[in-house]
Amino acid sequence: MITILSDHTRQEVGERLDKKLREQKIATEFISLTDMNVGPCYSCGGCTDKTYGQCIHRDDGDIILPKLMRTDVLVMVTPVKWGSYSFKTKRVFDKCAVIGDRHYYYKNRELVKGKIGRVHTFVAIGVKDQWQNDEKSAFENLVAENIKIMNIKGRVHLVDDSNISVFLDSAAEDLNQ
Amino acid sequence: MKKVVIINLSPRKKGTSMMLANRCREFLSVRDYQVEILHLYPNLKNLSALMAAINEVQSIIMVGPCYINTYPADTVYLLEELEKNRDVLHGQDLYGIIQGGMPYVHTHESGLKMLELFAGENDLSFKGGFVIGMGAMLNGQPLDKLLNGKKAERGFQHFLENVVKQENSSSELYYQAQLKMPGMVYYLMAKMMNRKIDKERRGKGIGDQVKRPYDDTGIN
Repeated sequence: MITILSDHTRQEVGERLDKKLREQKIATEFISLTDMNVGPCYSCGGCTDKTYGQCIHRDDGDIILPKLMRTDVLVMVTPVKWGSYSFKTKRVFDKCAVIGDRHYYYKNRELVKGKIGRVHTFVAIGVKDQWQNDEKSAFENLVAENIKIMNIKGRVHLVDDSNISVFLDSAAEDLNQ
Repeated sequence: MKKVVIINLSPRKKGTSMMLANRCREFLSVRDYQVEILHLYPNLKNLSALMAAINEVQSIIMVGPCYINTYPADTVYLLEELEKNRDVLHGQDLYGIIQGGMPYVHTHESGLKMLELFAGENDLSFKGGFVIGMGAMLNGQPLDKLLNGKKAERGFQHFLENVVKQENSSSELYYQAQLKMPGMVYYLMAKMMNRKIDKERRGKGIGDQVKRPYDDTGIN
């Protein structure tokens, strides 16, 4: 299963990618963050104590996190602000720690953490009207660190108006494999 | 007297971010600075107190935890709101401090890059920051309790001197301060921490391969 989590603010790349994948008969779950209300992680420790493995606060994370636990490939489509994920996307990402493997692993001479649910591949798609080089490298570095710490496979795509059609074709082919 | 505002980007009012915020306050307040610490989370619904404070100061220090390789989501919200209220930004110095569980600088450094890019677009002068690993393990205790306590203390002290002088603070300070251990030590650390996690789970009556609560919610 491929799950596409998309913050639609100023972009429709996620929706178009989902449509393309469905046309190719690839099973997807599409989650739009537009009407979702996910609260902050308050670092209260409830998910490792009173409500082990579950956030103590009730919000739309209750809808999103069970879906993420069932997915093999997580695709996050996000507007990029200052080389980082959008606010809405990051709220969900912050809460993913709840469903992440708490154990530590040793890889390339460093400590890393475990996967989110059973996700084996993480694909981050950053969307901007126009990319500056320093913001490109900032977002690429951030996603590379995310992939490293989750100890999974993954890649990053940088999308803008000039490359969206080419991107959709290549991403759909990539995900199909 | 110069003014500085320290913004606690952590949802916790006690913990490593606040320990570092208090360290900044103690250092600066005896060096001719008027210092105020403000917490982001209690002000999320109304940021006017933060906006007003930022408008008044010469320097801003943002200190917070690292959640999945950068500051928490609500830091992005704060920056977006500051961008909407750009009249409060008029060339102030901006410093960042980020602390996270992993011992490596590279794991957390993206947070500082975000502040740098934000400052560049919004009439602030980003002057560097400090990255501290193993912050979760520290859990609010003083820096000298870290395995690399002496180096971290020395580097952080140097960073604070940069803040006092409103100078750029080099990333070399936190790179030099980071814990450097042979791979075998990290391997053993992983084993030790995993044993602790599993023991804790068993103590709560939860097996190692338990079905996750979200599997049972029936919500989807």
